[in-house]
Amino acid sequence: MDTPRNLYAILGIPPEATQSDIREAYRVAARRFHPDANDHEGADILFRDIATAYEILGDSKQRMDYDIARAKFKDEPNYFTLRVTPSKRVLNTLDEPQVMYLLLEIVPLRQGHKKERHDARVNLTLVLDRSTSMKGPRLDKVKIAAHQIIDQLAPEDVLSIVSFSDRADVLIPASAVTNKLEFRSMVNMMRADGGTEIFHGLAAGVEQCRRYLGPKMVNHVILLTDGRTFGDEEQCLQLADETADMGISISAMGIGEEWNDAFLDALASRTGGTSTYINSPSAVVRFLNDRVRSLGDTFAERLSLAIAPDADVMMESTFKLHPSPQPISVRPQPIPIGSLEYNRPVSVLLQLQMPSSTSPGFRTVARLDVTGDILMADRMGYKVLSDISVEISDNPPPEEPPIAILDALGKLTLYRMQQRAEESIEKGNVAEATRRLENLATRLLAAGEDDLAHMAAAEARRVANTNMLSEEGRKTLKFGTRMLLALPESTEGET
Amino acid sequence: MKPCPYCGNNNMEGVLFCDECGQPLVGRSGQTTSQLVQQQTHSLRGRATWGTARFDLASSIVIHVRDHLEPISLVPKQEMLIGRTDTQSDFTPDLDMTPYGAAEYGVSRQHAIIKRGEDTLTLTDLGSTNGTHLNGQRLIPRQPRVLRDGDEIRLGRLVFHIFFK
Repeated sequence: MDTPRNLYAILGIPPEATQSDIREAYRVAARRFHPDANDHEGADILFRDIATAYEILGDSKQRMDYDIARAKFKDEPNYFTLRVTPSKRVLNTLDEPQVMYLLLEIVPLRQGHKKERHDARVNLTLVLDRSTSMKGPRLDKVKIAAHQIIDQLAPEDVLSIVSFSDRADVLIPASAVTNKLEFRSMVNMMRADGGTEIFHGLAAGVEQCRRYLGPKMVNHVILLTDGRTFGDEEQCLQLADETADMGISISAMGIGEEWNDAFLDALASRTGGTSTYINSPSAVVRFLNDRVRSLGDTFAERLSLAIAPDADVMMESTFKLHPSPQPISVRPQPIPIGSLEYNRPVSVLLQLQMPSSTSPGFRTVARLDVTGDILMADRMGYKVLSDISVEISDNPPPEEPPIAILDALGKLTLYRMQQRAEESIEKGNVAEATRRLENLATRLLAAGEDDLAHMAAAEARRVANTNMLSEEGRKTLKFGTRMLLALPESTEGET
Repeated sequence: MKPCPYCGNNNMEGVLFCDECGQPLVGRSGQTTSQLVQQQTHSLRGRATWGTARFDLASSIVIHVRDHLEPISLVPKQEMLIGRTDTQSDFTPDLDMTPYGAAEYGVSRQHAIIKRGEDTLTLTDLGSTNGTHLNGQRLIPRQPRVLRDGDEIRLGRLVFHIFFK
């Protein structure tokens, strides 16, 4: 087994701690995270580390061996650090529960010029929909995008391309990108024909990707589809979980109005990938190229996050904000969160519910743990953890929430409003849905997003008249409000 | 529960934007606006900040210890040790928290150190008994962290804020 880098940090003690310090630290940690005391899934994961740390450090002989073994990490840089910003540093004593937000930023080691970096080696699989509905401009643009990706990749990279309709064809088996001309002509042979059955295509794609699966590479599958798959969604999601375990992430891109966004969201989120809505064929080229370019900028890969709130704290939601906004599911843990690019922090917003608390003092809130593989240093399983506490006071000093949280949450609120409007429609509550869409239109207008605001207002009228949203409107609002999170700071309130 | 002033929806305490109508429930209104916008101009995109991390040669720091009116102003040396006086060995750190109740709040003799970097200040916990927290995040001993204007530092249970000038 690899030597863990910092068992002392896991117990929260300095390396010169005495045996009784270690016992005491273990007792405190066990009280917080032992499965008997804390039934959060993340606590179970983090407790295993705590138990290992105690097993080794609590035994003088093993501890001595470990101290010698860990010397090799003495000069290891902090490849990435965790910066956590709470919405409030001091909470009011309150006899009811209260909401608290944590902004987690995973900050990569600062790198100088682009020249000093290594482009990450990419093992990429494209899984391309060639069903009848792709015929015409959609398939043409997909071919152009594929050509550009072939040009963009280096000879050290590995590419495979699978096209699918109701069956899957391996257009280019996984191989080094050496003969670009031949690859291009293979792409040109794609013909639109048949229905959409994603599972066949995805399974064939994953099969290709795993042939060159390497821990020092970015292993990624991009699925591009314009249709809805029937009967095999559950199979696809199961495959996605297995894919995540292998260290392969999946990005999903949907063109047009037909595809199932909830399904593609789930597919991507389960592997740490992203899902995107492409509303016009011409945007295909840009989206695909951007995605591949960012793969090459990978600094750390296969990042995963474990969140262990204290036993009495509730985990309400998590949302990945940067670099590409993506809702992420709290379960199962650890949560795959994809890759960390050079000089671009990954940030995740957590919403917690704190229990009612009437006694002032300091208390712990949660422990977060991020693990990832550092590609340029061949360092696998690099691990950083962070313990969060908060002060409870009868009389907290007045404090504005940090601007970064307000900014992110302001935009996330728009996305959530759109989701809540959809929930109202599903419940059949037309009046509520209409009101929520009108509220959304008002807030979008205030944020200077006129196009989206008009779309929301139009959809509000449509819902009032027909009891439903248009597919285009629904997707535009959903992905439009989501994309706001990726945009530069809004200028709201500047007047 | 707190009713939203715009739509009356009851939001849980701590919620920053109304769950129903999306209106902000704090800040970005009235007097606070100009202050927020000012902060915004020097906050880096995507960074969570109360203020800037930039600390150059001419900068100095002001420390406000919780429950003490008189702030401490100083120009930090290359390395500034924070802790409390040890009467037995006659040891005094650069920044002595003894007058602020260091002993009863659980501050170690050599608790933490603030170091000047190129354009930044870093804070490092020195393996203190009761730990160092930066904005609620517990520092891993001997791992430096960049300080920002307005940060809250907690040594044991002693809380102070650090401002750049």
